[in-house]
Amino acid sequence: MTWHSFFDFSTMGHRHIVFVYAGVWIAQGAYLAWIAWNWAHIKGIRR
Amino acid sequence: MEQRTPTLRSVAWLWFGITIAVLVVGFRQAIFLVPAEATMGDVQRIFYYHLPHAVLGLIFPYVNLIASLAFLFWRRRDPLNALTADALAVAAAEVTVLYVGICLATGMLWGKPAWGIWWAWDARLTSELLLWLLYVSYLLLRRYSPTGQAGTLGAVLSVFAAIDVPIVYMSIQWWRTQHPAPVFGPNGGGVDPRFYPAILWNMAGWLMWGILIMLFRFALERRRQLAEQEAALHAIEASLEIPQ
Repeated sequence: MTWHSFFDFSTMGHRHIVFVYAGVWIAQGAYLAWIAWNWAHIKGIRR
Repeated sequence: MEQRTPTLRSVAWLWFGITIAVLVVGFRQAIFLVPAEATMGDVQRIFYYHLPHAVLGLIFPYVNLIASLAFLFWRRRDPLNALTADALAVAAAEVTVLYVGICLATGMLWGKPAWGIWWAWDARLTSELLLWLLYVSYLLLRRYSPTGQAGTLGAVLSVFAAIDVPIVYMSIQWWRTQHPAPVFGPNGGGVDPRFYPAILWNMAGWLMWGILIMLFRFALERRRQLAEQEAALHAIEASLEIPQ
């Protein structure tokens, strides 16, 4: 596979590969960002 | 404690950097380097993200179970240790919901092009969905239970929730339905050795990521607990300062 064929949305299979790989990074990154936001927020309360 | 915090922070950043590097290597292996599978073609590459989340989604519940049992053991004997165990339990439960949720979602996105259906009520899929619902209910129970009772109620539920983990694991051996047979282990069908680099790099990467977010979430929960204790202490001090 190449970058070109990775972003080939012509078939359902190829679309779903992109959805999986992008979706996993987005979901995991969003959870990490949520923890980090709360970490900073609670630190602010303590000060 | 003052000296330990910067060291821990440096280790955490180092761990984060190495984890991202391992995940980038895993992505490159999965998408660009390993060959396409003969039967399914490129859509099989979903497997390299589906498998690590499926496997780790069955490991984090045991972290939750051990922490919950420790909480139940310490809750009267040593309340401070019990609070620490409770923080680890909630962190492990959240990471379980995340990993099992991703396993279900990636499985559906793989199932539609591979089987022609999004979902089947077969033993593996149903027991996995039940596992996800059990840990979602664990988090909801903690969120909406009366103050002071959340840890105990959650810990008791987590003991029952963990029973589903071996059922999920064994389901594809006990019942042969829609989900493929196991590929690893003594009864496994085996995998082409050319796929190993993509499997192993992604397994290592998502394991390191899972440990990172679980410990970060644990640290956040400890910080929240300490902030609550500090606020309670200030409230008591303030009430004592009121002139009689």
